[in-house]
Amino acid sequence: MSVLRSYVLLIAWQTLRNKTFLPLMIVVQALFAFGIVVGYPLLFPSIDPFTILFLATGAPAITLITMGLVAVPQIVSQAKTEGSLDYMRTLPIPRLVYLLADMTVWLGIVLPGVVFAILIAAWRFGLHLELSPLIVPAILLVVLTTTSTGYALASVLPQTLANLISQVLVVFVLMFSPLNFPPDRLPGWLASIHAVLPIQAMGEVIRGTLAGNVFPLTVAPFALLAVWCAATFTVTGIVLTRRG
Amino acid sequence: MLAVTGLTKTYRRGPRANDGVTLSAAAGQVYGVLGHNGAGKTTLVHQIVGLLKPDAGTITIDGHDVVADPSYARRACSIEPQAQVPITGMTPRQAIGLVGRLRGGRAADVQRRTADLIAALDIEEWANVDGARLSGGVKRLVSFSMAAVAPGRVVVLDEPTNDVDPVRRRLLWTQVRALADLGAAVILVTHNVVEAERSVDRLGILDHGRVIVEGSPAELKESVSSDLRLELVLEPGMEPPPMPEFVTRSVQVGHRVVVTLPLAETSEAATWAQGLQRDGRLEEFSLAPATLEDVYVEILARIGGDHAAVLAATPLDMLPEAVDVRAS
Repeated sequence: MSVLRSYVLLIAWQTLRNKTFLPLMIVVQALFAFGIVVGYPLLFPSIDPFTILFLATGAPAITLITMGLVAVPQIVSQAKTEGSLDYMRTLPIPRLVYLLADMTVWLGIVLPGVVFAILIAAWRFGLHLELSPLIVPAILLVVLTTTSTGYALASVLPQTLANLISQVLVVFVLMFSPLNFPPDRLPGWLASIHAVLPIQAMGEVIRGTLAGNVFPLTVAPFALLAVWCAATFTVTGIVLTRRG
Repeated sequence: MLAVTGLTKTYRRGPRANDGVTLSAAAGQVYGVLGHNGAGKTTLVHQIVGLLKPDAGTITIDGHDVVADPSYARRACSIEPQAQVPITGMTPRQAIGLVGRLRGGRAADVQRRTADLIAALDIEEWANVDGARLSGGVKRLVSFSMAAVAPGRVVVLDEPTNDVDPVRRRLLWTQVRALADLGAAVILVTHNVVEAERSVDRLGILDHGRVIVEGSPAELKESVSSDLRLELVLEPGMEPPPMPEFVTRSVQVGHRVVVTLPLAETSEAATWAQGLQRDGRLEEFSLAPATLEDVYVEILARIGGDHAAVLAATPLDMLPEAVDVRAS
């Protein structure tokens, strides 16, 4: 059977399976983005245009990352516990196609939130964003890396542990990652960790493709992300094809 | 078609679930895998369909090594797992149809076959109802249909009759036979020995991960005993009668007493039972050849061990208040 046909059928399967939750998840993702753009600035008594731009361009990245590292492990853990993951593994579908179909559904869930975050930012703060076509590979790299990490976490760990780790990750991403603020505000040791972790690079590629006039795009974060993406994809591929 | 040789699987920090399992099933055959809970039945079939990797041994389908090539196993096998397949959000018709197409079936064929299965299993009433609102039995029949809609060369059915009502069980068995008639080798995992006897062509009994006996139901019954079973239904309040010499084993459950006796004693046993009924001690009695279940219990009793001891003392209905009246 053709790979494309399996891919389309799997998307239909997952969409039907989750049809009652999909609209809700889309709304939650959008609310989340709205909260970062509109709620975060309330932390500051007075806010300068640079900080506003940082927050506004950080929100889409945070929305994408939390989807992959928090929502995906929870969804996959659930599927594993109720037995649908094992059942899908008995069907004659390449594992990679299964993973890509799931990622497509997740992308469909998170994209409206990302667009909403950008529109809200532009409206609330009267920002003028300069969208680069590189936003497409930037979003894909972020989604592929975070969702495959989330997938691997949920596949390897028991449900409660996977949920716990995803909670820890969300705190780390929201509070201790240079997405809503520049990395120079972090203590030196944490900044150097973030120089090799993919989170900061995710923020940079999204920010650079949204407001390249203020945050010039460089090759380095794309290259780092590509390495992480390849690594997480490989690990997830191994995890998925592993037999107990 | 399916050949399993010396299959061994030990779980990490767990028991040896399969210990040198060897069996084979031909196209057109329904092969029953019987055994008590934890005997290693599900572990065995999960290795056949490529979900688990054996520690040792070989599995081939049409001569193809599926341990080395699990993707071939996924194409060649369709499975109804023991656990319910969650289909919340989908209707049975959608779920069966999508699996049929994911298994490579053509849209028109799958649609027709889905409708046929739904009709044959008499679940049309629920065909367009969301999976979340289905009863356990209907879900089970939907899972079966998902394995049967575009069947593999090998079709694995793990406890297909669980939760299914008696009328639809019969419809289900007809469809199981139909799958074999289509040319599939059907591997039927069950602990329901009574039903298996009527439905399987060959069977293997698993105990502690080993195949302890294999053959057709008739061969198995022949190899173990040519005994008869006499079932006595006591009048309410009656104590069981003293057992005559020819009785080899007797077990009481409530007001039923199941007595095993040699074939040669048939007429004597009938006379004895008729006498008891005349005296008003029995409501009724029946005399019949030993069932596969009697054989199953007998075999486990022969090989010894804890399970065997429990089983040998446990009659047909497996009720806990069983009492061996001959010993008393």
